[in-house]
Amino acid sequence: MEKKVYTKPTINKIEFAMASKYGSPLRTQKVRRDIDGIDVHELTEKFGSPLFVFSESKIEELYTKLYTAFNSRYKDVTFGWSYKTNYLNGICKVFHKLGSIAEVVSEFEYQKARALGIEGKDIIFNGPYKPYNDLKLAVKEGAKIHIDNFFELNDLEKIADELNQTINVAIRVNMDTGIYPQWSRFGFNYESGEAYDAIKRIYETGKMNLVGLHTHIGTFMLDANAYRLATTKLMMLKEIAEKEFNAEIEYIDLGGGFASKSHLKGIYQSPEVVVPTAEDYAEAITNAIYEHNKSKRLPKLYLETGRALIDEAGFLLTSVVGYKRFPDGKKGYILDAGVNLLYTSTWYNFNVELDKRYEGENEPSVLNGPLCMNIDVIEENIMLPPLDRGSLLTLSPVGAYNYTQSMQFIRYKPAVVLITKNGEAKLIKEIDDLATINYKEVE
Amino acid sequence: MEMIENLIIDENNIAYNNALGTSYKLNETGKDILEYLKKGLSKDEILNEIVSKYDIDKKEAFIDIQDFFIKLKLYGLVS
Repeated sequence: MEKKVYTKPTINKIEFAMASKYGSPLRTQKVRRDIDGIDVHELTEKFGSPLFVFSESKIEELYTKLYTAFNSRYKDVTFGWSYKTNYLNGICKVFHKLGSIAEVVSEFEYQKARALGIEGKDIIFNGPYKPYNDLKLAVKEGAKIHIDNFFELNDLEKIADELNQTINVAIRVNMDTGIYPQWSRFGFNYESGEAYDAIKRIYETGKMNLVGLHTHIGTFMLDANAYRLATTKLMMLKEIAEKEFNAEIEYIDLGGGFASKSHLKGIYQSPEVVVPTAEDYAEAITNAIYEHNKSKRLPKLYLETGRALIDEAGFLLTSVVGYKRFPDGKKGYILDAGVNLLYTSTWYNFNVELDKRYEGENEPSVLNGPLCMNIDVIEENIMLPPLDRGSLLTLSPVGAYNYTQSMQFIRYKPAVVLITKNGEAKLIKEIDDLATINYKEVE
Repeated sequence: MEMIENLIIDENNIAYNNALGTSYKLNETGKDILEYLKKGLSKDEILNEIVSKYDIDKKEAFIDIQDFFIKLKLYGLVS
């Protein structure tokens, strides 16, 4: 006798409150079979699971959209690729090819940019700690130094003496733009007059020229108007520096912080509703420059957008390696990727897509990672149909910060693949092995 | 087992428990398991029945039936 096709036995209590005029969540399934035309199973069979996958086409789409929003309103605009957001060489190269310079916040990011062939003049050096020798090298190579504090200012005066040269610098300014919490730990404060004092100090010693003003008001900014205020304050400071100190401010830099289309935990509206558009950000910043410019020349505009340019271009493929029923009735899935790879799981609800349509009704489930830690939870409460061992999930958006902040903890770090514009799955980082773990150990 | 015996399962795979006033949605395999339970089969016997009826590896069916029984327990249908 021919046997019948098997489906996992399911029983779900009918909760009448779950159905509404929008329908029942019991049958909704999000399915993704491929990324840029390449089957997700083909990718993990070739490169292993879990696997980070980036789409070059999506990066280009996000870049072009944001750049066009600014460039169509303001000609002299340049993007600096925020290395900390994702400093895989293969990703940085895509951004440099698109026209981005580099924005770095540490010596190794600086070295990475140089190794990728970026000239010092095309590197913005930010961050609250720039080791003396690295700062000196950056000065020698003509990098754009953004001063964070008075200690750094002292260092630069010393470097100016040692190199017997006047150094072009910018200062980082923090300010009240109505955002809570206010990011006040980086740079010099605007409202207290600290930023003014820093400029005064720069011109008193005569060892530096102030050529730029920089601010970074925060991250995941859901209010474009905050950028209008930030730009206005930078432009007012520019006017003061030019009038009182004869400074020639060549550029202003509004940093980053534009939100991506990620679903933040605790925000119930969809990202499409709450996240400002590229046009909203561009309008806010460029209008404020035009409105408050008192010089003959408009300043060059730099932006250091990271998240909004890469987050949606990144996916993590992860496999179900087992499951169990928890005492509270939830189905607990064990995945081969956890918080070790998904730093942003703390505040994002990821888009979880299945590799095919599954039989059976959805039930409350939990997605756990492979770590021996109770905190290794990717999704605490998600409605999923009965999945199999080996089912492949695609989590997104994960392009920003997850790779750079991922932990070398318990599991090997996975491989990373870039799907190029011509549809080729290109390995840009191999899976780690014992040699990677033991590298630089001396015993 | 009284709870299981009193379940009324209709042609749409909806099980109704008169005593608790609750309803449950089953799939075909789930319905089979409840029918076997009503007939008084043990968990091991049910496993053998499922494996002989469906195209499934016994080890995999074992995990699924374990899981199904935990849910029955959570719903108060078996003790």
